Amino acid sequence: MLRLIFTRLALFVPTLLAASIILFIAINVVPGSAARSALGVDATPQAIMRFEALNGLDRPLIVQYSDWFIKAMQGDFGKSFQNRVAVGPEILKRLPVTLELALLAFLIANVIALPLGAIAAFRHRKILDVIITTFATILGAVPNFWLATLFVLLFALIWPILPAGGFTPFLSDPKANLIQMILPALSLGLVSSSLLLRIMRTTMLEVLNSAYIKTAHAKGASERVVLIRHALRNALIPFFTVGAVEFGFLFGGVVVIEDIFRLPGIGSLVLVGIINRDYPVLLGSALVITIVVLAANMIVDTIAMILDPRQIHAGER
Amino acid sequence: MNFLSKFNWIRHGLLTIGIMIVGTVIVAALTAPIISPYSPYDLDVTMMLQAPSADHWLGTDELGRDVLSRTIFASQISIQVALVAVSVGVIGGTIIGVLAAYFGGVTDLILMRLMELLFSFPAILLAIVLMASLGTSILNAMIAIGIIFIPGFARLARATTVEAMQQQYIEAARSVGMSHSRILIIEIMPNVITPLLVEAAVAFAYAVLLESALSFLGLGAQPPEPSWGNMLNTGRGFMAQAPWLSIMPGMALFFCVLGFNLLGDGLRDMLDPHLRD
Repeated sequence: MLRLIFTRLALFVPTLLAASIILFIAINVVPGSAARSALGVDATPQAIMRFEALNGLDRPLIVQYSDWFIKAMQGDFGKSFQNRVAVGPEILKRLPVTLELALLAFLIANVIALPLGAIAAFRHRKILDVIITTFATILGAVPNFWLATLFVLLFALIWPILPAGGFTPFLSDPKANLIQMILPALSLGLVSSSLLLRIMRTTMLEVLNSAYIKTAHAKGASERVVLIRHALRNALIPFFTVGAVEFGFLFGGVVVIEDIFRLPGIGSLVLVGIINRDYPVLLGSALVITIVVLAANMIVDTIAMILDPRQIHAGER
Repeated sequence: MNFLSKFNWIRHGLLTIGIMIVGTVIVAALTAPIISPYSPYDLDVTMMLQAPSADHWLGTDELGRDVLSRTIFASQISIQVALVAVSVGVIGGTIIGVLAAYFGGVTDLILMRLMELLFSFPAILLAIVLMASLGTSILNAMIAIGIIFIPGFARLARATTVEAMQQQYIEAARSVGMSHSRILIIEIMPNVITPLLVEAAVAFAYAVLLESALSFLGLGAQPPEPSWGNMLNTGRGFMAQAPWLSIMPGMALFFCVLGFNLLGDGLRDMLDPHLRD
């Protein structure tokens, strides 16, 4: 088992390497686009050549990539094309904001999805199940950026009870920080809860139909004991494994939400990178988001392997 | 017609509602120039930020343009983007998935590892990164969203092909000396198409959402072209004076996504009832 866990952990390195290559290729898919984008369409060929020489863009792509990747692994993401500021420290400053937003949103999504998904499965094909699944279907179709806009309209403009944006670090003023985070985290979390709710319902249904639950019923265990002690516990492992994937999607969704609520996180840095055509900024922030997503998947996979060794054998098959 | 009259529309309620919503959106997109009361581009400075009224049912925007007309025309962009992006995803994904499953070995390993890797990227992030290089336009949004869909369809096509390959008729086709391309196109493809269609309906919803998110960020459809995403983005600046700008395009987007989601769920229920729960 330990060997398999180490193998899973060791796979992180080549995965990260391949992910960084994909990001690098995606940004450089059109040769010379970095210089043209940064200097504008009217840039002369001489200006483009000067720009490329200054930023090392005239070297072969493979050299550029290896140079960038080796430095990035040491926390050096290069300097911004726009203001020559180092990208690494900027990312480091913004990472806690995005992590806090994503974690709060994930928490909200789980707090909604876990009980509602379990109840829907327990009341399978009864009115409560229909109401909950309809709620999940409707929620799943709501674009998070529209929900965020409606929240601002309702809770910051019509009934001004919450701020429409801004950020105070948690350590400076925890209360102000959490108040500012309510609307952004709710916009992300509510929409994400839809998929998690469906997953919880499906997982719970599988567990409730298994032999050991029937045995527990046959032995006279109460509904509450069966649901909480036997079913819920066993449904949680597959739920969290799939939930980690949703965390990845949610982490990607921060770009739009951070823009709406003017949060100084990595998501808004990605946007700054693309609007200013500032490739070091874009590439650095996109790589860090990817690392967080891959790491979340790896951690959850490893925990799931420890908690449920059947997954290891499934993997071996 | 016989099939339509025999089809139990009430039993397949989700599918029925999905078809009705999607049908409405498609009809709106096709007949936009006929049913829209005004041109979506005509400016009228005397009618700026007018609240909904008998003349302008959904009000007017900051340039005096009719919001209803722009909302109807925006459905064209959404359907076009979704159609092209999903086609790119289905065609690219099917080719990769079928080839990986058919030839197996190293081809399978390399192609599917690449697909898994692409799948692990947050979709909107990959779209943004791709658009940084391709440039911000609606055509590039279609391509970027299409590329994002390739891994999902490849995994599905591979799984279905692997299943089909275990059937005796494939063995028989090989034993009579049928060429690889004939086996792939005539024997395997018909098995792959049905699950891909179901997935395509769900992907349509996601494509509409992604296009709107990109346009909302200013990376997709560019003004004055109407898109639900860029209309919502513009509305942000006038929330206090004209809240309808932030509500109506969002409602249209929500119903469009809901329609495609219901259509996908309904098709899945109908074609594979085991997956219903």
